[in-house]
Amino acid sequence: MIALRNYFGTIFYALYTVAVGMKITWGRLFKPAVTIQYPDQKMKMPERARNRLYVNIDDCIGCDQCSMACPVDCITIETIKAPADVDLGVTSTGNKKRLYVPKFDIDIAKCCYCGLCVPPCPTECIVMTDVYEFSEFNRRDLIYNFSAMTPDQIVEARARAKKAEEETAAKKAAAAATAAQAKAAAAVNPVPTTPPATTSSMPKPEPPKPD
Amino acid sequence: MDLFTILFYVFALITLGAACVVVFSRHIVRAAFALLFAFFGVAGLYVFLLADFIAVTQLMVYIGGILVLIIFGVMLTQKQINVDIKTSPVQTWPAVLIVAALAGVLIGMFWSTDWARMGEISTATTATTPKLGEMLLTTYVLPFEVASVILLVALVGSAMIARRERNT
Amino acid sequence: MELIQSLLANEIVVAILLSALPLVFILVYALVTLYMEMKVAAHMQDRLAYMRTGWHGVLQPFADILKLLQKEDIIPFAADKLLFQLAPYVVFIGTYAGFAFIPFSSIYIGSNINLGAFFLVAAGSLVVIGILMGGWASNNKWSIFGGLRSASQMISYEIPTALAIVIAVMITGSLNLQDIVKFQEGGIHNWLLFGGPMASVTLTQKLLLIPFTLVTFIILFTASLAEVNRTPFDLPEAESELVQGFNTEYSGMRFAMFYLAEYANMFLVSGVAVSLFLGGWSSPFGSLMSGTIWGIFWFVLKAMVFVFLQIWIRWTLPRLRVDQLMYTSWKVLTPLLFGCLFAIGLILVW
Repeated sequence: MIALRNYFGTIFYALYTVAVGMKITWGRLFKPAVTIQYPDQKMKMPERARNRLYVNIDDCIGCDQCSMACPVDCITIETIKAPADVDLGVTSTGNKKRLYVPKFDIDIAKCCYCGLCVPPCPTECIVMTDVYEFSEFNRRDLIYNFSAMTPDQIVEARARAKKAEEETAAKKAAAAATAAQAKAAAAVNPVPTTPPATTSSMPKPEPPKPD
Repeated sequence: MDLFTILFYVFALITLGAACVVVFSRHIVRAAFALLFAFFGVAGLYVFLLADFIAVTQLMVYIGGILVLIIFGVMLTQKQINVDIKTSPVQTWPAVLIVAALAGVLIGMFWSTDWARMGEISTATTATTPKLGEMLLTTYVLPFEVASVILLVALVGSAMIARRERNT
Repeated sequence: MELIQSLLANEIVVAILLSALPLVFILVYALVTLYMEMKVAAHMQDRLAYMRTGWHGVLQPFADILKLLQKEDIIPFAADKLLFQLAPYVVFIGTYAGFAFIPFSSIYIGSNINLGAFFLVAAGSLVVIGILMGGWASNNKWSIFGGLRSASQMISYEIPTALAIVIAVMITGSLNLQDIVKFQEGGIHNWLLFGGPMASVTLTQKLLLIPFTLVTFIILFTASLAEVNRTPFDLPEAESELVQGFNTEYSGMRFAMFYLAEYANMFLVSGVAVSLFLGGWSSPFGSLMSGTIWGIFWFVLKAMVFVFLQIWIRWTLPRLRVDQLMYTSWKVLTPLLFGCLFAIGLILVW
């Protein structure tokens, strides 16, 4: 008797649960869809969404901190030291710019959108925007060049930097030479213990050139 | 030639062709599937003999039941699928005896049938099913019941064999 | 029919043309159902489905068919080529054969033979063989499992289907589907679902019959769901475990044939259920809105309601396990139907 009751009970329970499920799907049939028609409609991105990187190059001081913070090395920065007589101006945060930035490349294909490059920036010039549609047909087009300098300007800046460097090097060499002479003169008179300073008159090795 | 004659030859060809594949094929699964067409053709031929109930039963029992069982059997005995089966004759004399006996029966039936009266029969009876049902439950009720008891015994027996022993 | 015959004056041509009518219907119906299935599925899941091709994606089925037509016909290297190529056609033939016995209207039925209901059950066995053929010929573990599952499932569920048809036949006294439909003519109260017309049974008999015919109808519908391999009985194709089962290896037009057969089968079983228990092409309002054209309308409408129901169930219920499937067939549907058969027989002779 109990077995029979269980048997029919199971059947009715099965039918009942089917009815419950079908009622739910029927109700859902008339609810508006939660999905959107993407290219036509777009979801509003959250305020702190991390998407495409943007660099406000006017504010960049070329400190290279973002590049060092990047875990996937997608930021490449080159800098040229500005001569002392050139004023590059100040950033919007008040930092003084001392370096030309001829190259500020972000390979966005490599970027993992971790956002680690943003906090180290002293001038807050690198930010994550809410732009997320930037696919390209060519992978090379995903390397963004943010530098505002034209090739001519870069060549010029290089030349001036080199010149300035040479000048300072020459100055230094001259200073070193006079210092050496003075030293030598001072050394000759009392006790001649050291050999003549032939080596000290050579110019100092130059600092590596930015290429 | 009218439509029915053409159709008759089509069905006869299907039956014979498929039967030849069943016998001569070296591929056991293909042979089993060729049975499908043989059974189908025979069902068609039954229709031409005005035995539409038998025709549908042929489809139902032979294609739906027996053929599926055969194919199941062939598929589940996996080792035999790719083995070439022998199609050369063995046990020639017993086979000849059986075939001769069968042919004798068929030819005897062929001679004893009154072909001239066939036309009348084809116009006289159209619905065979009610008569079949009546005869099964009146004149031939004993064979019918015996057949059902045998089937029941087979069913219970197969359930017995297939059932797993509780103790082991 | 005589009119067309006299116009063409060739019985072979007429026979071919008339037998091709359901094919035209199936093609149009498949497009509609394809669209309906996707849309209903999407909206039940709070999605939108096709929106790009035409207004709300109405042209998507055409695009899908074009895509399938263009696809390369791939036959796996290790497959049994002959059987592989044959299988979709066997499946489709099995389904299409059933359409010969469906009364679309009072004047259109493919073959008005006296064994229509019986033949419908028999024609389903061709589908079983076709699926087994495709599953085996693909030479793929999933496919063969799908084929075997499908065969065992369809054989098991043929019994409840046949029993339910027997019950309808018992009340109407005819195996001819056209006669069964004519028996129920005259309005919704005459349908077999509600015990049949008053002309043949007394009021007490009718009232006593109603619960049993209702149970029979529900069981017939459940069994037919299993016969067409639809969810929750879609074990043979089970995407998540068997990767579409018997049609894993099929692509392009051959896949389309399987697909078309499945959709046609959905309509076929709905058509049978409607013809047997819901008055087929007869109007639910008696003589109002009845006639040849209305007949087609009512029949297609009623059948489409059940096609929709199948879709609805598909997107609601999860898949059964194999043992649950067999339990449902052998321990629930079949014994209940035997009970109904017995009870209805008693009521009818009483």
